[in-house]
Amino acid sequence: MKKFLALFLAVMMTATLFSFAASAETADSALLAEAGLEVGPDGAYRFIETRKITVEIFDRGLDNGKTSAYDNKWTQWIHDSVLAKHNIDVEYQPVDRWTEVDQLNNLLAAGDAPDVCVTYDYSTIQNYAKMGGVTDLAEYVDKYASVLPSLWGWLGESNIYWDKDPATGSIWALEAKLAVNTRINTFVRQDWLEKLGIAEPTTLEEFEAMLRSFKDNAELLLGDEADKMVPFSLSQDVGWRDDHLAAAFIPETITDKDIYVYGFDDRHLMFPGYKEAVRKLNEWYNEGLIWPDFALYGDGDTTEDNMFKAGYVGSMIHNWDLPYRDGDNGITGNLHKLVGPDANYVAVTAFQNEAGLYRKFLSAPIDRKVFLTGANDEPLASLLYLDFISNADTVKFLQVGEEGKTHKVLEDGTIQNISGQEGSDPEWIQNSLNNIDYTITINGLNLGGDIELTLKSIATGYAGVDAALIAKAYDASLLDGRIGKHVAVGEVEAEVGMSNPLAEKRDVMLCNAIIAKPEDFDNVWDSAWADYLASGAQAIIDGRLAAWEAVYGEATMLP
Amino acid sequence: MNTAARAPVVRAKPKAAKGIATYLRRYWTLYLLLALPLAYFAIFKYTPIANILIAFKQYNMTKSVWHMQWAKNNGWEFFIKAFSNRDFLYALRNTITLNMLDLVVGFPAPILLALLLNELPFKAFKRVTQTVAYMPHFLSWIIISQLALQLFAPTNGLVNMALRNLGFGTIPFLNDSAHWVWTYVFLGIWQSVGWNTIIYLAAITGINPELYEAASVDGAGRFRKIFHVTLPGLKPTIVVLLILSLGRILGSDFDRPYALTNKIVNDVSNVIATFVYTSGIKSMQFSLATAVGLFQSVVCVIFLLGANTIAERLGERGLM
Repeated sequence: MKKFLALFLAVMMTATLFSFAASAETADSALLAEAGLEVGPDGAYRFIETRKITVEIFDRGLDNGKTSAYDNKWTQWIHDSVLAKHNIDVEYQPVDRWTEVDQLNNLLAAGDAPDVCVTYDYSTIQNYAKMGGVTDLAEYVDKYASVLPSLWGWLGESNIYWDKDPATGSIWALEAKLAVNTRINTFVRQDWLEKLGIAEPTTLEEFEAMLRSFKDNAELLLGDEADKMVPFSLSQDVGWRDDHLAAAFIPETITDKDIYVYGFDDRHLMFPGYKEAVRKLNEWYNEGLIWPDFALYGDGDTTEDNMFKAGYVGSMIHNWDLPYRDGDNGITGNLHKLVGPDANYVAVTAFQNEAGLYRKFLSAPIDRKVFLTGANDEPLASLLYLDFISNADTVKFLQVGEEGKTHKVLEDGTIQNISGQEGSDPEWIQNSLNNIDYTITINGLNLGGDIELTLKSIATGYAGVDAALIAKAYDASLLDGRIGKHVAVGEVEAEVGMSNPLAEKRDVMLCNAIIAKPEDFDNVWDSAWADYLASGAQAIIDGRLAAWEAVYGEATMLP
Repeated sequence: MNTAARAPVVRAKPKAAKGIATYLRRYWTLYLLLALPLAYFAIFKYTPIANILIAFKQYNMTKSVWHMQWAKNNGWEFFIKAFSNRDFLYALRNTITLNMLDLVVGFPAPILLALLLNELPFKAFKRVTQTVAYMPHFLSWIIISQLALQLFAPTNGLVNMALRNLGFGTIPFLNDSAHWVWTYVFLGIWQSVGWNTIIYLAAITGINPELYEAASVDGAGRFRKIFHVTLPGLKPTIVVLLILSLGRILGSDFDRPYALTNKIVNDVSNVIATFVYTSGIKSMQFSLATAVGLFQSVVCVIFLLGANTIAERLGERGLM
């Protein structure tokens, strides 16, 4: 009986498998023929004739032992694998990471842009789409869905249709998926807390008391360099650097509708309650708790970074893992060298909102935007390339590489990234963290769905940093986070071309409000705010409100 | 230079085609030398003039400028947009203010320096000073702005640290709008004064020494000689340079304000060039950027012609 059952099951299974395979093939054969595809020996769809495509790649320079962004072991591996699997010949075209938008603009305007482009800036894509410079993906992604199982499997409907225009149905870009939604953290010098016998702050009051205590004990903490003491550091990008503090002043009851309508500025400047957060910073500034020169240094200036490294800064709000990056050359590495092995930044959660939550507003699960240029005459090959790049095995290999070359496996199975460190293969160095620049449809480590293993692996991936600090930072960054939702109302005309001028205005307004005398604060803020609204922000609010109401009517929350 | 100056003296008499041929055969190298600059102007200055049309059209990168759609309001859409934009009006105001200050304070500076240098009896000292003074001309504004931060930042700047230690308190050179304007003007003078002096020194060299001898014989002292010989000798040069400066009153450097600015002084540092960059080019509003640029050029030309006419009325030679 048992034998029979086993045999029956085996036969059933084989039959099911065959029928699946068969149906998939028969359903597609016409499609395949039309597209010039065949099923290869490994079951993958491959072109009968070799296709050539060019793909944009971010270039981050060559310092710290990095290799050429477009010609190294990884790109060679991708090139050979895609050629073998899909018969597509890929060529990479480098674009400087830090000026990617400007450079991409130039390439697009000159008609020299690669077939497959990637950018963080959707408005660039939109602009060129309007001029007919971008391929509409709508028909391809649906028509060839059966040929693109990994792309659909990884991005899913949500990210593939994310940018679908509700009116026209066009899709100008695919949204990469954000696998890890960590954004910002509040950091405090752990060794200073210990020296002063203060517990990690858990409320705004405790945080303020801590700042004052840092200031009052500058001699004890910094000795001869007491005049260098900075209890709380800021930069000209105030909106980023006050994020956790500001989120605590925003009403817990804010609706999805308001988040959208007042959400044009990605630093949440227009959210209700924001002004009071800035007033708090203004108080701190006038009390001498904030670095007085913060507004003078531009983007990319290293003055503030050097102050972190030299150990002058007591606390800051910044990128979720900033102090732990870059090993010996990073902040923690330098603190250990210059101050001592106990000198560490620890992530704290100190800013509660009215409901007692450590609220923060996180991004929607989208990341870079991948699009095909209008001149691209190989849309299917380009999508197949994306399918290959989204394949779980490809992603895993690119993210962690081979054991002994880019990672070590620890006793408990944790995969420790050792790229660029001692014991790793310098030829297989990852030019970007987990090769994010090659895995253009994913941001964040993804080890095949095992979340615990992924977290452990993230935590051990920072050379010279205690894994517990990373784990803590990871949790703190996500605690009580409100994840952005997808508002599909199409384009709002008033937004075109406004993101740069308004961002500039925002920075100017925040910097000036913080350094105002306390009695002038309201004046400075109110006049700057009126100017901000009059300079286009009000038109955007009105446009977004109308767009929301046209699609969602009276509803204020999204599912 | 010498050959070029000699050329008209020879003056090949254009009796016939044969004469021209001889002339060209003799001086073809000079015309060859001229070809490159002419090509430069033809390719980079005259050919792109057609693109001025972008100011009146809806920019579209996939179409040629002739086929782009006309902008609204009979093509004036982007001019209206600019003039109803507060930031543009501020930028206009700031451009004029900063350039006026540069003119009032910065224009006489090289003349003064030239006069001073000219009076130096110790020639080696004069040469060294002159060289040192024109060195900053070769520094880019990015470098100067970083130097300025190192020197003038309120807490970490060397100058302010010194002032604090001497008990004077800090001066907000860079983080207060009024102070920043003067820092801007001062740095501009520091960067350009030595270089601009060269022209005046050259002009002074050209003044006939007999005039000085005559003045001495008449009993003129140093100041009398400066006022009655040197300055009148410099007058044509001063007038030409003044006309050129007036032509730039609405034009603006991009790198100088862009490098020196910071978020606190944006209300005085945002000029037309930086406005064009942030609101136009960076935001892909190419039509707006072109419209503003065209407006700027037209006003500059008006100023240039105006100054030239006035100069000619006053009996100077002018430019044209």
